[in-house]
Amino acid sequence: MATRDSLSGTEPSFRDRVRFARQSVGERLPTPGEGIVGYLFLLPAFLLFGIFLAFPIVYTFYLSFFRFEGVGNDTLLWIDTGFFSYRLTSIADLRFIGLENYIAMFSDTLFHQALFNTTFILVVQVPLMVALALLFAVALDASFVRLRGVFRTVLALPVSANLVAYSTVFLLMMQDAGLINYVLTSIGLPAIPWLTSSFWSRMTIVGAVTWRWTGYNMIILLAGLQNIPQQLYEAAEIDGATRIQKFRYVTVPQLRPVLLFVFVTSTIGTFKLFSEPVIINGGGAPLDSTITIVQYIYQTAFIDFRLGYASALTYVLIGVVSVLSAIQLNVGGESDA
Amino acid sequence: MREETRREAVWQFLTYAFILLGAILTLVPLYWIFVASTLKESQFLSSTSPRLAPGDSFFANFQSLQARENVQFVGHVGEMTHYIDLGPFYIAYDFWNLWNMGAIESSIFVAGVYTLLSLLLCSMAGFAFAKYEFRFKKPIFYAILATLILPIQLLVIPLFLLMSQLGLTNNYWAIILPWAANPLGIFLMRQNMRSIPDALLESARMDGATEFQLFYKIALPTMKSSLAALSIILFLFQWNLFLFPLVILDQGKYTIPVAINQLVGAQRVYYDQIMVAATLSIIPIFILFLFLQKQFVSGILAGSVKE
Amino acid sequence: MTNDDRKSVGRRNVLKGAGLAGLAGLAGCVGTGDPSSDSTATQASGGSTDAGGSTTTTAAQAAMAQSAEVWGWDVAAKALNLLDEPYEEANGGDVSINQIGRSDLKDKFKSTLLSGSGAPAASMMESVDAASWVDTGGLRDISGWLDEAGIKGDFVSGKWGPLEKDGGTYALPWDIGPVGTFYRRDVMDEYGIDVESVETWDQYIEEGKKLPEDQYLLNLPSNDYDGLWRMMFRQIGGQPFTQNGAVNIASDKSLQVARILKRIRDSGVANDLASWSSSWFTAFGDGTTASLTAGAWMEGTLKAELGDTSGNWGVFKPPAVESGGSRATNWGGSNLTIPAQVSEEKAKRAWDYMAYALGREESQLTMYREYGLFPALETTYESEAYDDPHAFLDGQPAGRMFAEIAPNIKPYRYTIDTPEVTKAINTHFRDMMAGDKTPKEAVDAAASQVADRTGRDLA
Repeated sequence: MATRDSLSGTEPSFRDRVRFARQSVGERLPTPGEGIVGYLFLLPAFLLFGIFLAFPIVYTFYLSFFRFEGVGNDTLLWIDTGFFSYRLTSIADLRFIGLENYIAMFSDTLFHQALFNTTFILVVQVPLMVALALLFAVALDASFVRLRGVFRTVLALPVSANLVAYSTVFLLMMQDAGLINYVLTSIGLPAIPWLTSSFWSRMTIVGAVTWRWTGYNMIILLAGLQNIPQQLYEAAEIDGATRIQKFRYVTVPQLRPVLLFVFVTSTIGTFKLFSEPVIINGGGAPLDSTITIVQYIYQTAFIDFRLGYASALTYVLIGVVSVLSAIQLNVGGESDA
Repeated sequence: MREETRREAVWQFLTYAFILLGAILTLVPLYWIFVASTLKESQFLSSTSPRLAPGDSFFANFQSLQARENVQFVGHVGEMTHYIDLGPFYIAYDFWNLWNMGAIESSIFVAGVYTLLSLLLCSMAGFAFAKYEFRFKKPIFYAILATLILPIQLLVIPLFLLMSQLGLTNNYWAIILPWAANPLGIFLMRQNMRSIPDALLESARMDGATEFQLFYKIALPTMKSSLAALSIILFLFQWNLFLFPLVILDQGKYTIPVAINQLVGAQRVYYDQIMVAATLSIIPIFILFLFLQKQFVSGILAGSVKE
Repeated sequence: MTNDDRKSVGRRNVLKGAGLAGLAGLAGCVGTGDPSSDSTATQASGGSTDAGGSTTTTAAQAAMAQSAEVWGWDVAAKALNLLDEPYEEANGGDVSINQIGRSDLKDKFKSTLLSGSGAPAASMMESVDAASWVDTGGLRDISGWLDEAGIKGDFVSGKWGPLEKDGGTYALPWDIGPVGTFYRRDVMDEYGIDVESVETWDQYIEEGKKLPEDQYLLNLPSNDYDGLWRMMFRQIGGQPFTQNGAVNIASDKSLQVARILKRIRDSGVANDLASWSSSWFTAFGDGTTASLTAGAWMEGTLKAELGDTSGNWGVFKPPAVESGGSRATNWGGSNLTIPAQVSEEKAKRAWDYMAYALGREESQLTMYREYGLFPALETTYESEAYDDPHAFLDGQPAGRMFAEIAPNIKPYRYTIDTPEVTKAINTHFRDMMAGDKTPKEAVDAAASQVADRTGRDLA
């Protein structure tokens, strides 16, 4: 674009002035990659998030400082302009008790038990599942494997099984005289008390959850694998790397963001375990060794009707899991958001 | 040389063995669900000798499932009832009444619409977080991540209240919209989009592309497999949603998990019908997965940027 | 430029001014707290969820809604369907019954209660849940209408306990489960067991020993000890909580029951299948388990599941805990309740329907005849319907026996902490059955567990 040097001529022409104005506006707008464009891409998602999820989140936090006394009828806000009227009623009779709910948690042994159970399951299940998912993803990415699509589909299918149906099947398989023990005894191993021992019943949950979610996480890791440029592998091969070395020095580092995703989301998912213990272990049996936190929260809210306490429990859960996730993200090397 | 090919063969063998073992272990419970749907309840639940061969009661069980009054699992043909009267003859126009949706159709419809909507929203948001800088980026991201942790049980009551105020009870939008900005999806897209080379975007900008074109023409195509994975995540999320649809939908619009739960009666659990329903509900997912496998193509980014 | 600035500042000010003026204008129409135009009658009936907004007249003059929705599960909902047409003919309203699975109905209903919107005009409610649901304050007090209709005395008095609170009544009783011991005639005859001569549990156990090794007199379900315990505990007048709310499940009566259950287990006459499982049903079907102590409604279930054993069954009054003791107790039972959030008109319609369906002998007897729902309406017990021979029970007029038991059922104090009691009993009785705890230790442990977790005192 030809520019006229405005200093060399007489007073600036109209076109020059317009160009100058346009340039200065352009300078004032944030450069691409900064400023409002990011917000614009985020806007639709954030809008929906704000309308639908923000209110429940805030309300639950608000509730955690109160004690639920009953359903309420008082009007919170009314608008009446002759042709338009609206009345917002409070939905609960609440009694402000400050931090009492949070303090009560310290002496709630069942809550501690639930925390312990959930953490136990977490520590065993998540590393196991992520490792398996990674191995399967890599195996099914190898070019020599035929019918890759079919295998991937099969492995990911468990997550589509209805919760009631699959928990029932697991319940039956894990009976003392069920399929699993049948197989074990026929190869000479002792039968395991899957549902009646505290330790083994947690393992049953680990088994069920791993079965259900490994394929799902494998798919996610697979997508991440596709994003690794082929050149890196080629370069490694030229340098004489073995399969294992390629895995260690190319695959895993490149997969870091996605591996982190899988770790964090699996951790969160395990903390939210609810249906499986209810159906497989009848809600915490034996002896409350499999009662999970969310189960306990549900009980507190829907059966004991202690909404305030349940809200407080929820926020403690959020706190614990947020801290865990933050640790994982930091350790995993996410230095920026 | 032969050493290498031998080692190669061993690897291939191990890989295949591993995959096959995984596939078998995965299929056993699923196979059992299928077998259970073909047996009568008493045959299935006796734990003395686990039966592995399918029986012949599939259609009988299916018919008892369809005969239940309080849940319609598979839809059936309906009747058009709205007519325009043109004197000598009528023209019916309400084609949507031709098919009464059952639970399976409802689930497919809701999950499908949800997936498409959410794909768009999550990839846009993920792109924003991965490739742009703006104030409050970190806090917003962590806030969205934090909602992931919230167990749905407690959200149900305030959400229900919100929906009643908005007049959205018994409306599919009530279960599609709240999680359209799915934190899981946003998180995934962000993680995956980080691997898009910035140089690629910069060079496109210098060629005069608008930001949206960057998103549409560069980011999305390279993210095919991530989008496929995201579709699976979103579809399954909506497919398995239970508590909130239970509370907000009425009978005619039940999705599959809610419908199946109706089969857990007052004292009795109707296992044979549950298993039939479960078997049938795996089929759409199976088809979806197979269809999406084509998108898992690797190395799209290879060679896109000269080192 | 400065010109523009001043102009834009001016414009901004005008906008601000207009905004404030608008807000001030609205101020008269916006506020917190109760708007003065509402009458107290609206408050009593709760916030309306109907499009109509606030109601205007007091309860006595409110018109009845044309239609209403009632929620129920399974058999009960089907029973109500029988009354659809008769009701419409008699009182003109159109009441629709929404059949929802039991646990789903409870979840859905509780959500509507707690969020204050979306509840139906009336819903089924089990007595065991009544205390906690009433406690939320989300149910309507129908004592006014109840007094007007004058039917309170017509119902079995033992039913009202959990439905009342602080002088208000919150539901209308529907059915009860007077307990009988169903037994296989053919098995008992084969081994010479005479059930009519049995009076106490210990006698029953003795008779049971006549059965061979692989056959059992009854079933002690490993997943439901509390059901049996509660049944027997109520039979001898036990109360799980005292008048002022202390935990009473370690009382002597409770201990007595625990000891009997342990004796049953130790004597070897009891099977141990999980109740309601397929194998549980199968055992009754082939006579492996010879008897089942359950509510009257169990007959309907047995008929449905084990139709081909029809004619081989009989029923007798459940054994007493000690000689001369009561043989009347209850297992199960529901009611119909109206949520407080429903509009006055809908509530009136719901009440009208409830009074018709549950308060009239004819309606209750219809539901009894078709579906075996044993009426809580005591005035029906004179009816000949109870003398009908039951083919399933080899012609025995079982209804009459239950009708004799029903008025003698003792009241039972369910509270919002009843689920805790259920859990505690199940947990510790499991230990007791396995031999890890004595009956005394089991009931004591159960009582302290409940006291701990609910903050109540021990009685």
